[in-house]
Amino acid sequence: MTITPGPGQLVLAGSIDESSELDKLLGYAQNGALVLDLAGVTFINSLGVRDWIRMLAAAAQRNITVELRRVSEPVIHQLNMIVATRTRTHSFYAPYACDGCGREESMLVDVDAHGPQLANLVPPAMSCPECGAAMAFNDFPERYFSFLAPQGS
Amino acid sequence: MHRVLGVTGYRVELADQLADASQMVDELAPRLVVADASIALDAAWPAFFERARGRGADACMTLLGSPGAPKLPSGWGIGAVTNLLVHAMPVLAEELTITAQKLMRGELFGAEKYLLWGTELHATTLERSRQRTDVVAELERELRGRGQSARVAQMVRLVADELISNAVHNAPVDGAGVHYRRDLPRDSDLPIDARQRVDVRWGCDSRYVAVEVNDSFGSLGRDVALAALGSQDVRDGGGGAGLGLAMAYRSCDHLVFNLAPGRRTEVIALVDVRYPPSEQPPASSYNVFVEKTP
Repeated sequence: MTITPGPGQLVLAGSIDESSELDKLLGYAQNGALVLDLAGVTFINSLGVRDWIRMLAAAAQRNITVELRRVSEPVIHQLNMIVATRTRTHSFYAPYACDGCGREESMLVDVDAHGPQLANLVPPAMSCPECGAAMAFNDFPERYFSFLAPQGS
Repeated sequence: MHRVLGVTGYRVELADQLADASQMVDELAPRLVVADASIALDAAWPAFFERARGRGADACMTLLGSPGAPKLPSGWGIGAVTNLLVHAMPVLAEELTITAQKLMRGELFGAEKYLLWGTELHATTLERSRQRTDVVAELERELRGRGQSARVAQMVRLVADELISNAVHNAPVDGAGVHYRRDLPRDSDLPIDARQRVDVRWGCDSRYVAVEVNDSFGSLGRDVALAALGSQDVRDGGGGAGLGLAMAYRSCDHLVFNLAPGRRTEVIALVDVRYPPSEQPPASSYNVFVEKTP
């Protein structure tokens, strides 16, 4: 896993696994918040999940909020499977398929902009980056958006 | 149901009510009991399966009664039966036929049973524990190179990672039955000798990507496997997180345990490449087969 400090956030990329040492990320928190950009995370296994949960627990003890941006599909898969991994998510990638040309694409969904819609399990409308036609959400909303359920804050 | 199970050549009897099925179990002592998940609406279903098991029958639960968008009955726990087949027809027919044939014939092992004729299985034997990372990354690259979607390749990589990790670290037991590698750090590089041998095979046809992981300890028990499938509990101490099998199960479409106690454990994960996620059920099928001693 690589860590790249950016303006107001950390950009993580690669694999989150037994070698990731996520607790070290808390040292990058600013003003009681740690903001993580996860667009480049391609893999997270059960040991990475445990490390992630430990990191969230340590953050809570130190009154640090952990916020996620541009969460990749592999990480969303884990957030949906293991409830204890969830934390505030501002935006995430979701699978869409084009009705016109058949292209499959991971599209960025803004939680803050589409909150009520997502709460009703309605995927935001998307246009195909290739042909401009309407894209269809390519998963069950009940399954893919379930990580948003406890996010009341 | 009669058509699907009839191909086994065995006699097939049908019952609409649990009471009738219970009577059949008593009178006929069947080899295999297949029940629709709607049976779970009757509070007597656990007793029925226990009764069937007592009469020597294996049990299999399906979601026949829920075509289109199959759903497990609320309150029903993953791992409550040894075989659960969640897919609608025609996938269900394939799953049910293989399940019945394996149980009836007692021939459990090999991913070939789930793949089309001619499918090549690629084999790797691990010599050190750290090979896992390279093996699963290579598997993901191979699948992408063969035209599989990023989603499928990522799912297969995760499943393979968890199954190999289990075989390397959880399977080895000493003479006293102690899992002597379970609590070792997973990032340490352990040698794998002939006794600890872990064999990985994978193959892909037009229906599934299959990953098969074998160890020669046979230390994974049926009840442990069943309990692990629905786990959300994270082990805070020790080497593993205790989530590996649950994550593997939820990341594939069908997880198969072939258990020969004290001799061999084989786990096969199937990821269906035919249907987009939006057309697949929210749950996955599983089988836990245990080799019967003669």
